[in-house]
Amino acid sequence: MPKRPRRILRRRWATTEGWRDTKAGMWAWLVQRAAAVALLAVIVLHLRNPFVPAVQATLLGLVLLHGLLGVRAILLDFGLPVRWHRGLLVAALVLGAAIFAAFWGWRWS
Amino acid sequence: MVLKVFRWSPGFRERIQRFWVPAKEGMTVLDALLDAQRRLDPTLAFRYACRVGMCGSCGMVVNGRERWACRTLLKSLRSGIVTVRPLYHFPLVRDLVVDLAPLAEQTARVGGVFVPGEGATPTAARIGRDAPERRRIDRAIECIGCGLCMSACTMVANDPRFPGPAALNRLFTVREDSRDAGHGDRGGAVLVSEDTLMRCHTQANCTEVCPMEISPTESILALRRRAVRRLLG
Repeated sequence: MPKRPRRILRRRWATTEGWRDTKAGMWAWLVQRAAAVALLAVIVLHLRNPFVPAVQATLLGLVLLHGLLGVRAILLDFGLPVRWHRGLLVAALVLGAAIFAAFWGWRWS
Repeated sequence: MVLKVFRWSPGFRERIQRFWVPAKEGMTVLDALLDAQRRLDPTLAFRYACRVGMCGSCGMVVNGRERWACRTLLKSLRSGIVTVRPLYHFPLVRDLVVDLAPLAEQTARVGGVFVPGEGATPTAARIGRDAPERRRIDRAIECIGCGLCMSACTMVANDPRFPGPAALNRLFTVREDSRDAGHGDRGGAVLVSEDTLMRCHTQANCTEVCPMEISPTESILALRRRAVRRLLG
């Protein structure tokens, strides 16, 4: 008797059910990767004309997001308890927003 | 309440079937499934055994999250519609029943099996509860193989060679065990392979869903640090 192929379910990312209950750690990972891809495009824009404030601000925002979420991952790699991972995500976002706001006030306001 | 249940059996198309079940105080998802099966459709297939959160047989995806059906109160879901699907990343048997064999296969593949040393007695020497090596694995040894972590892990979905959180958690407990004689055989190949420890992206989905409050992510990171130390001599 021919062997029937095995049926294995996977989350379907094109459906709302697939995204349901997406957890903090997954968002942290996704946002960091998305920021990396967006950085490539924004760096190109920045190199063409480095004096556009909107591009400068976007670049800073993306660098902070990508960098601080990267620091979060490194801290976990180096042995910080994994149960802190949600707190580290919040800390990275708050720190990033604070640095961005400080720069905004100093450079662009 | 409305129970939306994934239905599938070999040779048939998958579908979502709705059951209207009268919700009662203290009712769990497993109770609701049993009610639907007894009153409305006896062909509905799902697995359970102990009904009290001990065995892990009733793992399923409830409202998008991996949970034990017997320990999930309908009230806690705060929704009049409850969607129940089988665990992801395991071969489907029928309806909500999956084949958990990959869990054991992956564990064996990475060498997460205790190897007794030469001259070992049938009863292994006891390691005290307060011994440092015991304390390092204290939580991790509680794994009951329910498969929730495998279902929640996005890396298991994307890389079939990634053994998954449960297998690596088991490997961690064996590697930390001083009585185990298999350290040398497992070697570094498994540990430094790009599809094993390095494939974990620290999303901690496994940690979030583990009903035994184990952190397989923590175990994987500990193995990874060990592998890096080994690489650096």
